[in-house]
Amino acid sequence: MDWGNLANALTLANLALALFGVVAGTVIGSIPGLSATMAVAVLVPITFAMEPASALILLGAIYTGAIYGGAYSAILLNTPGTPSAIATTFDGYPMAKRGDGDLAVAIACYASVFGGLVGALALLLLAPPLSTVALAFGPVEYLWLSVFGLSLIASLSTGNVLKGLAGGAFGLLLSCVGVAEISADIRLTFGSSTMIGGIEVVGALIGLYCIPVLIDLVATPERHLKVEDEVRSVRFREGALIAWKSRINLLRSSVIGTVIGILPGAGGSVAGLVAYSEAKRTARPGQKFGEGEPDGIMATEAANNATVGGGFIPTLVLGIPGTPPDAVILGALLVQGVRTGPALFDGGGSIVYTFIFGLFIATILMLPTGLLIGRYAYKTIVTIPKAILVPTVGFMTIIGTYAIRNSISDVIIMIGLGSVGWVLSRFGFAASPIVLGLILGPIAEQGFVQAWIIGEATGNLTGMFFGRPISLAIIAFTILTLIYPVIQSRRARRLARTQANSND
Amino acid sequence: MTENITKPGGKDIGTLLIAAIFVGLGLLTLHDVGGYSDSDSVVFPTTVAYALIFFSVLVAIYSWLRPNLENGFGSGDWWRRLLLVASMIAACLMMPYTGFLPATAVAFAGSLIAARHEGWGIRSAAVFAGAGAVIMGAFYALFRFALGVPLP
Repeated sequence: MDWGNLANALTLANLALALFGVVAGTVIGSIPGLSATMAVAVLVPITFAMEPASALILLGAIYTGAIYGGAYSAILLNTPGTPSAIATTFDGYPMAKRGDGDLAVAIACYASVFGGLVGALALLLLAPPLSTVALAFGPVEYLWLSVFGLSLIASLSTGNVLKGLAGGAFGLLLSCVGVAEISADIRLTFGSSTMIGGIEVVGALIGLYCIPVLIDLVATPERHLKVEDEVRSVRFREGALIAWKSRINLLRSSVIGTVIGILPGAGGSVAGLVAYSEAKRTARPGQKFGEGEPDGIMATEAANNATVGGGFIPTLVLGIPGTPPDAVILGALLVQGVRTGPALFDGGGSIVYTFIFGLFIATILMLPTGLLIGRYAYKTIVTIPKAILVPTVGFMTIIGTYAIRNSISDVIIMIGLGSVGWVLSRFGFAASPIVLGLILGPIAEQGFVQAWIIGEATGNLTGMFFGRPISLAIIAFTILTLIYPVIQSRRARRLARTQANSND
Repeated sequence: MTENITKPGGKDIGTLLIAAIFVGLGLLTLHDVGGYSDSDSVVFPTTVAYALIFFSVLVAIYSWLRPNLENGFGSGDWWRRLLLVASMIAACLMMPYTGFLPATAVAFAGSLIAARHEGWGIRSAAVFAGAGAVIMGAFYALFRFALGVPLP
């Protein structure tokens, strides 16, 4: 590592590119339907004429900004701007509804910056050794990782676990629609050609989270969010204090995000959900996750931004993209003539280290820009009349869903799923387990079928599924996640009983 | 489980109906998997279908024994809800024939009428129509020209 690379990253041009990238990424990421992948993909062509290091800095800044930007609409509209922000809705929107949206936006910004810095630090110091972690993950580990993700249904189904499990199974079933993951069978389309492409995850997310909110909004004249008499600016001091108090949660979630970011295909949505689950599992007494708990936002946002640095580790060291935006960036690097691999850190070290320092700078720049944009986003959302907010958000859901695959069918599916989601939510079936099933279904199926084929071929099915150390560790975590809430509630009941007895 | 609000004889018909639809979907899936050529395509949806049927039956039994009578569609204007969804679907159906902007203008207008509870005047209608045109135009330009999305 040469500190001259830091000076290279700090040139005026690179600083301007990092600032532009963060702002553009944040704005694009905040629009439902425009994911971080799309933000990076649409802006890739402008990097072709740049120096490789500058191009990487711009793309990294767009990526990190877009992941953070997804939090705005998650908090203020209950619609994750990017799939990475799914778990941000769980506590962000309840906070906004009770009048703390400004605080939630500030907390999300601090957590995103913290997570981004931890991910970038891991990329700087641990890239080559950590990349071997990715290679140790086979199909069966992905299967168990997705089962671990599905175990979150128990914790996400606040109210009725059975309905959560049924909703999760419904989501898994929806993930099967279209062409099969492994073979080419066309499944569950019932002759409809519009269903062959399957259910697009981002469109489904928009539908399941956004359409029910719109349906509820138009039905009554009440305001969208609770507003104080005087609209405040973003509460950055209060947010900083809360973030500092939850530094352990921030650090743990950032490490989770970094490690999951390293795993090819897992991405920010899985990282956010796993970190959320861990934050909930280790909650202090009195913390109410799912009802507007700041720690829930911090866990998700720290983890999803940490996947940026984590995802670059296998991308740059092995040439295996850790997340979908990394795949786009990898393509841009190949166009630039940069060959990824361990040698990039030796021979071409100046490019990669200039980029890593650029990523640090972009993440730090996200703090003032994020708080500033957040302030205006919050003020706009809380003061805009409902008669403008609803049609604007409705228009954005249509154009955003259409833009993903240029498909009107996706828009119709989005509206249909949203309407079904609204009916289901009215009878206690939450959207989150359905979304979880939809996202984790393909990962689980691919891991299961591949592991089954390998296990059968080697004549050791049991060993394949239950004999690998990483798998066993994930299974142990899954069991712990499932039984810990039961142990915790029993302990709380016993404590309450002891206190009641002592009072008598 | 939640502390359900129950009263003797009351039933949570909505939950029972949804559980029955889920069971139906599971059975439909089991029927559909019979036509797949590759066994690798069968295992996962079959497992999921059994899980869906199993959990839905449990939901139905639980709901039958302890119905939550708080469940339901709640208060609010039905015509507004229906207008919102119908105008969005109408926009999708119109899009291939009229193009993106005229079709989404229908969705925008429908949502606007559905969301406005304060009544209408000529001035307010003109202001909202103007604001809508600016918002749609700006987003259309962003997606069509800046992001290169081929909008119809």
